[in-house]
Amino acid sequence: MIELKRISKSFGRHRVLQDISLSVKTGEVVVILGPSGSGKTTLLRCVNYLEKPASGEIAIGDFKMDCSQAKRGDILRLRRKTAMVFQQYNLFRHKTALENVMEALLVVKKMPAAEARSRSVALLEKVGLGGKLDEYPSRLSGGQQQRVGIARALALEPEVILFDEPTSALDPELVGEVLEVIRDIAREGITMIVVTHEMGFARDVANRVVFMDGGVVVEEGTPDDVFQHPQEERTKQFLRRITPEANWVI
Amino acid sequence: MQLDPSFIWTAFWQIFRAIPTTLSITVVSVLLGFAIGTVTALVRLYRVPVLSQMASAYVTFIRGTPMLTHLLLIYFGLPMLIDGLAESFGWSFRSVSIPMIGFAYISFSITAGAYMSEVVRAGMQAVDRGQVEAAHSVGMTSFQALRRISFPQALAAALPNLANSVIGMLHGSTLAFAVSVVDINAQAQIVASTNWKFFEAYLAAALIFWGLTALIERAAALIEKRVGAYNRGGVA
Ligand SMILES: Nc1ncnc2c1ncn2[C@@H]1O[C@H](COP(=O)(O)OP(=O)(O)OP(=O)(O)O)[C@@H](O)[C@H]1O
Ligand SMILES: [Mg+2]
Repeated sequence: MIELKRISKSFGRHRVLQDISLSVKTGEVVVILGPSGSGKTTLLRCVNYLEKPASGEIAIGDFKMDCSQAKRGDILRLRRKTAMVFQQYNLFRHKTALENVMEALLVVKKMPAAEARSRSVALLEKVGLGGKLDEYPSRLSGGQQQRVGIARALALEPEVILFDEPTSALDPELVGEVLEVIRDIAREGITMIVVTHEMGFARDVANRVVFMDGGVVVEEGTPDDVFQHPQEERTKQFLRRITPEANWVI
Repeated sequence: MQLDPSFIWTAFWQIFRAIPTTLSITVVSVLLGFAIGTVTALVRLYRVPVLSQMASAYVTFIRGTPMLTHLLLIYFGLPMLIDGLAESFGWSFRSVSIPMIGFAYISFSITAGAYMSEVVRAGMQAVDRGQVEAAHSVGMTSFQALRRISFPQALAAALPNLANSVIGMLHGSTLAFAVSVVDINAQAQIVASTNWKFFEAYLAAALIFWGLTALIERAAALIEKRVGAYNRGGVA
């Protein structure tokens, strides 16, 4: 169970997140939708503490943190319970696929090398990269890099994985392979919060859809609720814009 | 005066003896300079209060003044400082027991530190912020992210410039003659003036420097090839 309570964040005088609250049950897949600049990335980054929220509370399992007075130890604990899959993959360029996945196990978990290795190999096989263990990111396609990114996020067995538009930097023909991997791990019951513009995918994997605009949650519900029967005008507008065909789908 | 080709060879072997002196100055100043430069660069990158202003002042001062001037300042200034301290604290150590080459080590390390800090800084800035965030996102501390992720890549990116710094310090070490250290160049001068064959002796010295420089470049290229392997794309 992940619980965000009244998270706020400003950049200068611009309030990007305004008292956002969101709770995600264990095993649940929550998809966040919203127009550009609505604060989706910022929200995910706050959960991972890559961005420091001005105020609010984050609770994961029995761990609880008041963001305004977080200590170094709290931040490290929070980060170990969460993992992030980045839009630009952000793989460690000087490490092979295998080393990318092993890194946190060795450095953060202090796991013996042999164990870290076998676990990482298994994860890379799971994302379909068993044959690319020793390749550097510069020799992998975008889709392969993102799958390494997903394996890296899985390695520490986080309580929640945060995906920030994991396929939006990919060539269209590579999107499918990454979505397929995300679908697989969603089926395993891993808790996920996913920001995406892939509507078909969102409908498919989401247990719940959250629509954000202007730093607040405008509407949330099951994919059916939000896609078929949006209540709020802003949600309707957004859906019309992002899926022109929605008019006749409904 | 006529060129005496055979003397070039003779001088070559007489100058050869001074290679260890030149190399020791180069190696010491490069190693200490690298340590100083790394600390200086990090202090500035992480904007450590007070220290980062001091670091900036150090770098601009050193880069704004000639290396020979650094040597002379250290040569004349350091003894005053040491003897002054020794007197007030009652130490028995006096500056006269510092060997001449010690002044070259100290001053050139300070010089190299300023230049190398800029090289390390540029290397660090070449590592994209996203990788550091990825390191943090899996729970690494800032120090772990620095040690495991950004610094190794910064070094790889900085290698060509570091090699240039090493060559710069090799050539700059000739200035040590100013405090009567007999390096390759000073030895050439001795050989030249005792035989009155200046051109031949300096030519021999030049050849030695050229050879040493080529060796450094060669080594740097080999290291670069190994260390930079991850940067060579293939697919994608
Ligand atoms: N580091 C920053 N400094 C200043 N402003 C920022 C920063 N990061 C984000 N913002 C601003 O915060 C707002 C929300 O940005 P955010 O990236 O969270 O939006 P988003 O919903 O992820 O948008 P997109 O769909 O384009 O990715 C934007 O107006 C953006 O300009
Ligand atoms: Mg975004």
